Amino acid sequence: MAVVTIDRLCKRYDGAADLSVRDVSLTVADGEFMVLLGPSGCGKSSALRMIAGLEPITSGTIAIDGRPINHVPAKDRDIAMVFQSYALYPHMTVRENLAFGLRRRKMPAAEIDRRVQRVAEKLGLAPFLARKPHALSGGQRQRVALGRAIVRDPKVFLFDEPLSNLDAALRVTTRNELVKQQHELGTTTIYVTHDQVEAMTMGDRICIMNGGEVIQIGKPLEVYRNPVDTFVARFLGNPPMNLMAARLERQGGGYRLQAGGSSFEAAGHAPDALAPHAGGPVTLGIRPEDLYEEPTGPAGARRAAMRFRIQAVEPLGAETLLMLSGVSGEEITARIGRDTALRPGAEADLFLDTAEIHLFDPKTTKAIPRTL
Amino acid sequence: MEARRGNQRAMGLWLGHLRRTPLVLFLILYTIITGGPFLWVASMSLRTTPEIFDNPYGLPVPAHWSKFIAAWTVSNYGTYFWNSLIVVASAVLLLTVFGAMAAHCLARYRFRGSRAVRIAILSGMILPPQLLILSLFQILLQFGLYNTLPGLIVAYVATQLAMTVYILEGFFAQIPQDLFDAARMDGYSDFEIFWRITLPIGMPAVFTTVTLNFIILWNEFLYAIVLLTDDEKRTLPLGIMHFMGAHQLDVGMIASGLMISIAPIILIYAFFSDIMIKGMTAGAVR
Repeated sequence: MAVVTIDRLCKRYDGAADLSVRDVSLTVADGEFMVLLGPSGCGKSSALRMIAGLEPITSGTIAIDGRPINHVPAKDRDIAMVFQSYALYPHMTVRENLAFGLRRRKMPAAEIDRRVQRVAEKLGLAPFLARKPHALSGGQRQRVALGRAIVRDPKVFLFDEPLSNLDAALRVTTRNELVKQQHELGTTTIYVTHDQVEAMTMGDRICIMNGGEVIQIGKPLEVYRNPVDTFVARFLGNPPMNLMAARLERQGGGYRLQAGGSSFEAAGHAPDALAPHAGGPVTLGIRPEDLYEEPTGPAGARRAAMRFRIQAVEPLGAETLLMLSGVSGEEITARIGRDTALRPGAEADLFLDTAEIHLFDPKTTKAIPRTL
Repeated sequence: MEARRGNQRAMGLWLGHLRRTPLVLFLILYTIITGGPFLWVASMSLRTTPEIFDNPYGLPVPAHWSKFIAAWTVSNYGTYFWNSLIVVASAVLLLTVFGAMAAHCLARYRFRGSRAVRIAILSGMILPPQLLILSLFQILLQFGLYNTLPGLIVAYVATQLAMTVYILEGFFAQIPQDLFDAARMDGYSDFEIFWRITLPIGMPAVFTTVTLNFIILWNEFLYAIVLLTDDEKRTLPLGIMHFMGAHQLDVGMIASGLMISIAPIILIYAFFSDIMIKGMTAGAVR
């Protein structure tokens, strides 16, 4: 059992004018896999290091199971951390690396041996126990780092971008392996990354940070479908969401949007939410996958035509990316099927699934809520 | 055809040798310049003084091995050797322990006044020993350490600490911070981290300072001659001086004494240089 509660956590580094972490509050449920996601310098690593006890807390509270740990030294917090650099002790064998944390805790030698052996077998490290870290591959080192955390059976796991030193193929397998291990152990986990794919695929929930503040917390697909502002909208998803200027006009009982030389109904949004913006500018957000070559959807859903000039075509195999420019010069990316006849330089109509549009207040960049 | 190709290959080999000739010549010359005097003294150490004056460059035939026994017993080299060993070994031990701890702190912790402490320690490297000798003499006299081996040990530790800290701090600072954080998460205290992480990983640098300090202090002359007066407390460099009178010079005995004094340095170097070079090149940290 370990619930991590963070309340208005702040961090100011010596000599810095601004807070690096500002009023971060979140609760990680027991056994939950929480991902802290954000661009570099957003304060996610600082927050993690404060939870670990490696960095003093400027203000706010961190509690495990309701017990504040602000003044508990790192070694007594019963938290294990996996570092980006793995931080394996170079002068020790894999076995000694795994046992190092246990030996400090005055565990009987037989019990240490048993645990090390079990973890080594679980992670496929048994043949390498006598090796030193420099004689291991990157993936093996990563597993030793993970094993060193698991073997201690801590209350909380902290991961600081543990996959960023692996090559692309290994990253995918290690990602799955890590999620599997975490599910088996059921240990509360906080995982820091700047990689949105990792966040989307690994996290039970993700917490998106920017400029030291929490922007949005939620389940990955929820956040993807309902970003609270344009930062989250563009940060999640690859290629990122297209943003373009639009006007919202009242028409009869409903609202219509005018954007990119096209006019269509502002679907998916409650009239009450749209009313304050009527007759004014809004920011229209379009996911690349919501633009189609075909004018109608499978269920006969209406799509709005928009005129684009095709700047570039990038066939990726499974799909094709189109780099487009709209009538008023905005740059738009579309993700369409692999069999497209569209060629650069041509002008073409693409069709927008109006039910999937996102609208943002251009002044505050906050989302205009969608009806769920 | 075959013969021609063979000739060409032979020519190529010769050209290769020819191209390397300047380098080989330079190495031979360098070896003669550095090794020559050493071999000369080594051969003199096995000859008597009259033999040497008769023919300075003669070979040691017959070799008088008994000279070493005479030097060790009659000429007091035994005493000088033990004095040197006690002083230098204690000083190097203290330097390594205190130097490593200071370097660890300076490399790892940011604390109030850390800059001042660093400057204070490193300023020891700026001042030439000649400048300090008078005040050092006065201080040791006041503390009753003048003309004692512990007094010389303290003086040696003080003079060499700056360089020791300088070398070790540079190396320790390169050890990734993550290792220390990981050890803290693993439950280790600051001193244990120093003992179990910094020292083992920093071993190549520690060996470097041990070797350097040992060689420098083993040959140290100025402080030893000023701070020690009794004959039975003298260290080896002073002992050798003993044979250089104003009007007579026992060259043969000096040579034997030099051979005795140089032996530990050769041993130390032969033992540590391997580890040192291995540690430096293998990239112990990565």
